Amino acid sequence: MTEKVIIIRYAEIHLKGKNRGFFERLFTVNLERCLKGLRHELRRLSGRYLVEKFDGDKIEEIEERIASVFGVHSYSVGLKTEAELDSIFECALSVCPEDGTFKVETHRGNKRFPCTSMEVNAEIGARLLNARPRLKVDVHSPASYVYIDIRENQTALVFGEFKKGRGGMPVGASGKGLLLISGGIDSPVAGYMMAKRGMQVDYLHFHSYPHTNELAKEKVVSLAKQIAKFTNTYRLSTVSVTKIQEEIHAKCAPELNVTLLRRFMFRIAEAIAERKGAQCLITGESLGQVASQTIEGMTSSNAVVALPVLRPLVGFDKDEIIERSKDIGTYEISIEPYEDCCTVFLPDFPATKPKLSFIESEEKKLDVEGLVADALSTLEIIYY
Amino acid sequence: MIYLDNAATTRPLKSAVSAAERALYDLYFNPSALYAGGIRTYREIDGARGEILSLLADRENFELVFTSCGTEADNQAIFGSVKRGNFVTTAGEHAAVYECAKELKNRGTDVRFAPLNGDGSVNEDELLRLVDENTSLVSVIHVNNETGAINPIERISEKVKQKNSRAVFMSDGVQAFGKIPVRLTKNIDFYSVSAHKIGALKGTGALFKRKKVNLAPYLYGGGQEGGKRSGTENVFGILTFASAAKEKCASLKSDGERVLKLREMLLEKLDRNMFTRVSSICGTPYILTVAAKGIRGETLVRMLSDRGVYAGTGSACSSKKPYSRVIEACGVDRGLLNGILRFSFSAENTQEEIASAAEIINVTAKELYGRVK
Repeated sequence: MTEKVIIIRYAEIHLKGKNRGFFERLFTVNLERCLKGLRHELRRLSGRYLVEKFDGDKIEEIEERIASVFGVHSYSVGLKTEAELDSIFECALSVCPEDGTFKVETHRGNKRFPCTSMEVNAEIGARLLNARPRLKVDVHSPASYVYIDIRENQTALVFGEFKKGRGGMPVGASGKGLLLISGGIDSPVAGYMMAKRGMQVDYLHFHSYPHTNELAKEKVVSLAKQIAKFTNTYRLSTVSVTKIQEEIHAKCAPELNVTLLRRFMFRIAEAIAERKGAQCLITGESLGQVASQTIEGMTSSNAVVALPVLRPLVGFDKDEIIERSKDIGTYEISIEPYEDCCTVFLPDFPATKPKLSFIESEEKKLDVEGLVADALSTLEIIYY
Repeated sequence: MIYLDNAATTRPLKSAVSAAERALYDLYFNPSALYAGGIRTYREIDGARGEILSLLADRENFELVFTSCGTEADNQAIFGSVKRGNFVTTAGEHAAVYECAKELKNRGTDVRFAPLNGDGSVNEDELLRLVDENTSLVSVIHVNNETGAINPIERISEKVKQKNSRAVFMSDGVQAFGKIPVRLTKNIDFYSVSAHKIGALKGTGALFKRKKVNLAPYLYGGGQEGGKRSGTENVFGILTFASAAKEKCASLKSDGERVLKLREMLLEKLDRNMFTRVSSICGTPYILTVAAKGIRGETLVRMLSDRGVYAGTGSACSSKKPYSRVIEACGVDRGLLNGILRFSFSAENTQEEIASAAEIINVTAKELYGRVK
C-alpha cells in the first residue's frame, strides 16, 4: 500500500558519539511538540524520521511547522510503498515530471534487497523513459531527480526533492540562556541564533513605565510570540528600571547614563538567570552599532556579572541582522514605533569609551544593591 | 475616574444611546429598499439630515453629506476641491487636513501654510497674503483641537472671497459643532463635523456643503448621499448623531457657561510654578492647554491615568520629533514643548471632579519633576 509521508533528516546529530541517543530523543520531543494538534504518526528510522498518517489537506501546515524546528537538516514530501520494483515504479511515475532531464538515485539501506542500487536506477530509469517519451536522462546535471530509498521492513521511500530545514541543534540540547529583549530589531534575532544552536532561551524585558509606553511591553510580547515557534518559549519576564534611571539621572555624570543603566540591567538579569537556572545572558549587541556597544561598553557591563554574556550578533552588520529578522518574521514588528528609553534620560553625548575606574566611582553614588533589589521586586511574568 | 479628555471623544449621551437602540431594533432596513420598512428608514435619515442641517445653516443654500467620520469629510472636501492652482491652509490644522495638504504637496500642488498666533489661532493677515487669484481652496480649522483657539471663520472667509471670489472656503468644525455658536454664512462652502465629539457614537461624521459648490464623489457605488458618498447609510449612527446634536445645540449656551467655569476653576487651581497657560482665554471653554515646566506631558499623562485622571497631551512622542507641530507653531518656548497637557471638558464634569483632579495633577507633576529634574 502506498501512502504520502514526510521524510525528515537531521543536522549535525550524526556528529555526536555516545550522546547521540540524547539528541535523538530531544529531537523527537521537539518534532512531536511542533506537530501537536495535527493528526500524525512520527517514526524514527535509522538516520531519519518519518511523519505518516496525516491529513492530506494539512500538508502545507505540517511542512511549515517542520521547517521551523531546529535540527531539521532537510525534509522531503514523498511516498512510502512496498520494496518491490512495480510499486516503486508507480511511485516514481507520480514524482517524476512529464518532460525534461532527470536522474534516478537509489539508496539501498536494506542490503538484502535483490537488486543493487545501480540496477534499481537502471530499471526504474528505463521504465520511466518508456512511459514518458519526452523525458531524457542526464546523470550530470538533471533538471529533476527521482530518489528511491529502500528501507528495512520491506518498505521503500520515493521522493522528488530535498527541502532545506533551518539546521542547527534541537532546542534544549545546549543549556539555557536568558535573552535581554527590547522592542528593537536585534535582540529577537540574537535569541533565534542561540535557539538555533540548541539553547533554551528565556526572555527578560526592561521597561521604564511611566516614562515609556505601556504598549511597548505588548510589542515585545508580539516579538517573543513570533519567535516562539523556533524557541519553544512561551513566557516573558519584565522588570521596571524606572527608579534606577531616575537615580542615575539625578546623581551621576550624564554621559554615563546608558553605561550605568546597562550594568544594572546585567546585574538584574544575572539574578533572574540564577532563579531560572539559565547559564548565560544573551544580548543583541553588535560591535560599534551604537555608543553603548563599543568594546569598552561591553567590558563595563561584563565586569558586573560572573555569567558568560553571549552576543551572537557581535560581528554582524545591521543589514545582515535586518535580513535575518525579515527571515524569521520579526522585522515588521520591530520597526513599529516604540520608545525603549525616555528621551529625558538619553545624554546628548554618551561616553563611547568609558573608563572602568570612572564608571565605578560614579556608581558609588548609588545604592546599587538596594536598587537591584527594588527592581527585582517589580518582576512580572507574562505568559502568552 | 475623572475624564478630562472630551476633545478626544465623549461618553455617549443617554438620549443618544436610546436613539441608537431604537434605530438598531426598529430601523434595520436598507434605506434604499422599496418596501415600507426601507422607506420609513429613509425618511428617518432624511429627517435627521434636515435637523442637523438646520442647527448650523439654512436649508435653502446648504446640504449635508453623511460620512464615516470627520476625517473623511475633510478628505472629501479637500481632494474634491483642489483641482488647480494653490491650496492655502494653516499650520494649526488637525492631521485630517494637514496630512491631506502634505499629500497634495507630494503630488505637486502649491500648498501654503499660514503661521499661527501664540494661542494657536491663525495669523489672518498672513493667511490673506497667501491667497491669490490662483487659490482654489482655503482651509481654516474653526476651533484648534490642541489649544482651543477659535478662528473667526465668518470674517476670514469673507476676506478670502473678497480677494478671490472663486476660491472655495472650508473649515474643520469638529471641535466647534455643538460647543460654540456656529452659523454658516454664504462665504463658507464646506464645514466638517463629527458625531462622537458631542455625545453620539464613533463612526459618523458629516460635511456641510453649499449647494452651489461642486463636490466630487469620494466613494463610488450605489449613489447614496446624492451620489456624493456611496455606501449603505449608517442608520443608527446618523440618528444618534441627530439626537445628540439637537440636545447639545439646545443646551449650548448653558453648557458653555458651566464648562467655562470649570476651565477657569482648573486653571486657577493648577500650580503656577509648574504650569503655564498655552490656550487663550478667548478660546473654546471646552479646552485648557497648559505647558508643564521640566517634565514630559506624556509621562505625566500616564501617571495621572494610574491615579484616576484621564487627560490628553499635545501629541504622541516619537524619537524623531517628541512634540506637537501645532504647539511648536504657536511659538511656545522650546523647553516647554515636551510638557504639553490638554484638559478638555464636557457638561458632565462637575466642580468636585475639577477640584479633586487639580489636586492630583499638582501633586503628580511635582513628584515627577522631583524624579527627573
